[in-house]
Amino acid sequence: MMKIEAIIQPSRFESVKDALREIGIEGMTVTEVRGHGRQKGHTEVYRGREYTVDLLPKIKLEMVLPDALVNRAVDTILKTAKTGKIGDGKIFLSRVEEAIRIRNEERGENAL
Amino acid sequence: MTTAARPSLTPGIPPEKNMQGSPTPLSVLGPQAEAERQRIRQQFEAGTSARETLRALCELADHNVQQIFGELLRVHNRDAQGLCLLALGGYGRRMLFPYSDLDILFLLGNERVEQELRPLISEFSRTLWDIGFRVSSAGRTLEECKRIEEDNAEFHLALLDRRFLAGDAALFEKLDAKVLPASEKQARPFLLAQIHLLTRERLTRFGNTIFHLEPNVKESPGGMRDYQATIWLRQIVEEKRGIRNVTAAEEELSAAAVDFLSAIRCFLHYSNARNDNTLTYELQAAAAERALGIGDGVARAPAEWMRQYFRHARTLNRQLLRYLEQKAPVPLSLRQRLFNAARSAKSEPAGGRYSSVRDGLLEAVDLPSLSDRAITYSLFAEAARTGTPLSREAERSIGYILTHPELPPKNTQISWATLREILGSDYPGVALRSMQRLGLLTEVLPEFAMIDSLVVRDFYHRYTVDEHSLRTIEHLQELAAPPDERGAHFVPLWKTAERRDLLILTLLLHDVGKGMPVENHVTGSLAALDSAAKRLQLSPEEKEEVHFLIEHHLDMSATVQRRDIFDPATVSAFAQSVTTLERLQRLCLLTYADIHSVNPEALTPWKAEMLWQLFVATSNHFSRTLDRDRLHAPDEGSLLQRVKAKAGDATIEEIERFLEGFPRRYLAVHSAAEIAAHFELYRKLGTVPVQTELLATRHGFSLTVLTADRPALFATISGVLAGWGMNINKADAFANAAGVILDTFHFADLHHTLELNPSEAERFRKSLADVLNGKAPLEPLLKSRVSASRARAPKVTVETRINFDDASSAHSTLMEIVTQDHPGLLHEIGSALARLECNIEVALIDTEGHKAIDVFYLTGQGKKLTTQKQELLREVLQGTLV
Repeated sequence: MMKIEAIIQPSRFESVKDALREIGIEGMTVTEVRGHGRQKGHTEVYRGREYTVDLLPKIKLEMVLPDALVNRAVDTILKTAKTGKIGDGKIFLSRVEEAIRIRNEERGENAL
Repeated sequence: MTTAARPSLTPGIPPEKNMQGSPTPLSVLGPQAEAERQRIRQQFEAGTSARETLRALCELADHNVQQIFGELLRVHNRDAQGLCLLALGGYGRRMLFPYSDLDILFLLGNERVEQELRPLISEFSRTLWDIGFRVSSAGRTLEECKRIEEDNAEFHLALLDRRFLAGDAALFEKLDAKVLPASEKQARPFLLAQIHLLTRERLTRFGNTIFHLEPNVKESPGGMRDYQATIWLRQIVEEKRGIRNVTAAEEELSAAAVDFLSAIRCFLHYSNARNDNTLTYELQAAAAERALGIGDGVARAPAEWMRQYFRHARTLNRQLLRYLEQKAPVPLSLRQRLFNAARSAKSEPAGGRYSSVRDGLLEAVDLPSLSDRAITYSLFAEAARTGTPLSREAERSIGYILTHPELPPKNTQISWATLREILGSDYPGVALRSMQRLGLLTEVLPEFAMIDSLVVRDFYHRYTVDEHSLRTIEHLQELAAPPDERGAHFVPLWKTAERRDLLILTLLLHDVGKGMPVENHVTGSLAALDSAAKRLQLSPEEKEEVHFLIEHHLDMSATVQRRDIFDPATVSAFAQSVTTLERLQRLCLLTYADIHSVNPEALTPWKAEMLWQLFVATSNHFSRTLDRDRLHAPDEGSLLQRVKAKAGDATIEEIERFLEGFPRRYLAVHSAAEIAAHFELYRKLGTVPVQTELLATRHGFSLTVLTADRPALFATISGVLAGWGMNINKADAFANAAGVILDTFHFADLHHTLELNPSEAERFRKSLADVLNGKAPLEPLLKSRVSASRARAPKVTVETRINFDDASSAHSTLMEIVTQDHPGLLHEIGSALARLECNIEVALIDTEGHKAIDVFYLTGQGKKLTTQKQELLREVLQGTLV
């Protein structure tokens, strides 16, 4: 099992979610986050005040998938989240040792 | 209430062993009680009323309590002297729901009895648990009952509902007739304060509204706890004063509401097989199907049945709030006074005022006058202006008139001017909330009835549609002092928004379509606007603005969530659809309020920040593209025809010459009628070279000037305005391709010169024309007025900031000045620009409190300003404006 963490542009969220659903991935955790990588923030002046946005709004998706689905999921995210511009985000993969469904204590991939 | 720990069901000696030899051992009592419970349930399901069901459940509990208590006394071989059992709380009131706890107090004569009877008490509770009763018990000696436990107000409140169950009747009599009356009298202020505190906390926990999509029929506002708290307040307040404060009709409404909610609560307990009082969507449908609480057996749609629920919940909540907010009773001669009022045509209040403020609430000074709707609306207008809510008594009086046809109301048709006054004030939600409670909102705006108490199932929304709509308005008025960081950015937008009345009307109507059989609710809401606009006689421009806001009320939210708001193309496309800065401001406030009112967590700080970023980017886009988007008149076919239709004998070519080259903003901020009027002025320029139009507006005056462009023109016009003591709040300066300028100034008449002396308007216009035509000098006019005004120290200091931008326009240099506003400011800036030979191509002038925010598109000899010129200008202006 792998955990996928994808930081994407808020504007791509609906498309990514729909595309993941199409390949059978329904479950995910979604968080509104702020941050930046190479894409630095910018400053807007409004009515004489400077508004510096150094942490840009992003959406973080988290999902744990069986190994067999991971590549398809990553490809799907790459395809749908990419605009080609700086700030498109990143995908992080990490190995998950165990998953347990709290309701019935099922374990492993059955719990996903 | 703090209770003794519940006895464990597993360890220890089985109770039946101790009750062996009893004629009714536990093995018999348990099945008997269960069979009786089943019988009561079946009867309820067969249609027996909730009242009857509660009575039967209470009798069953009483019977078992008394029987087990008697048996235990017998087994322990002692009598009941010095011990009695009391039912408290809901059980004491004989309102025992299927899975509710039995609140029982063991009253002990003294501490010795307590020691002796401890095993018996413990066994008693355990036995009741074992035969299926959920016991919540407490033990107190008579002496202890005299003391007020300040950290256990619930216990004292539950004692108000005490009822003798079994045991030493003389002991109960002592408590009931001597001990408690004395201590309750002493504790009255404490109990009152605690009821207020506990109730306020509970109401706040549920957002102070009855209109939850899945309400808790016990705890939510309008639920059974409201009723219980009202009973306590009545007991404490009315007993003290020895009066009745509720009319028979109100008692009847209240009883019907209690019956209806009791039926639901029984149904929920049976359906969930536990003390769970949440009326979920699923159970709403099941209850509606069996017409629960209505009794005619005719199945209803869930939404329709829920309206019945909210009607009853409103009754209970209103009664509670009246007691909470208004301690003073109203004499029952109210009806007579109102009736007398209806017979009398006179409605002039003493001192010319219809309202006064008492305890932070608006009271009607002259209750009888409320049969005149014009006076009632003036009360709401006062509430909206000051943010002071109407007292429950004032509402009660209005409600009385509304429901009594023998008191015919006068002036029932509200005018748009009156409604505008309410909607356009700082606190429209205060008035509208009250109007909704009374049913007056739907009298004024019948379209709103379509969403009255309407439940639309939705994963995100927490409230009914009408409640959501009213909350949007309350969230905006909250911006006067926002309760958290999410609103901080939007405060100046709310404070400076123009035509708030149209924004609030939009919010009232934006979701009305959800109550109509249409596929897309926006279509329904627009249809509702059609009927409302016709009835209220909105102008075409007003209707168009509300139409736009309703039609696009989801656009800004969708752009924030589905588009890259940091992409200039997104901003440009969004700006194009919104068209003006003023509209953007209203749309942004609408979006802020709409998201905020979905549920308390819907507007995250993250979303609020995104919304603000889109607003700022779009606002800046408007400022920076002012002179880029110029009109090419032949492309504006429809506008040309509309202007021609109003302009009599003019040819299309003439109109094209007039419009050619104006910034597109000119079309966005003026209606076709206004453009036609400007065109009429333009046609007269040949004979009179300075054309002016002066109009009184809601917040002051507006002056439009058309004339041929010339050096220092803007500075001269603003100088004349300053000389007359006028403070410019907003201005637009445009020029067409032929060099005709069209400047519009919105100003406040600081000294009320024009307001108090209408004849001065002509002298003012002549003075302006004379100065512009060189027939009179400006300086003498300016001298006394400006120096006098400058002498006053500003309340808030604004640092001067001047920014230049050469990138936004292909032809001009954009200069933005933010500085301290003061009379004559624009003349000072304009004069400095003229001295340095800077030509104003376009100007956009605005103020925000003490801050002036001015944007100028400048050229020097037809080109952008050089860097040296910019620096010189900065230096001169910094020197002038500091």
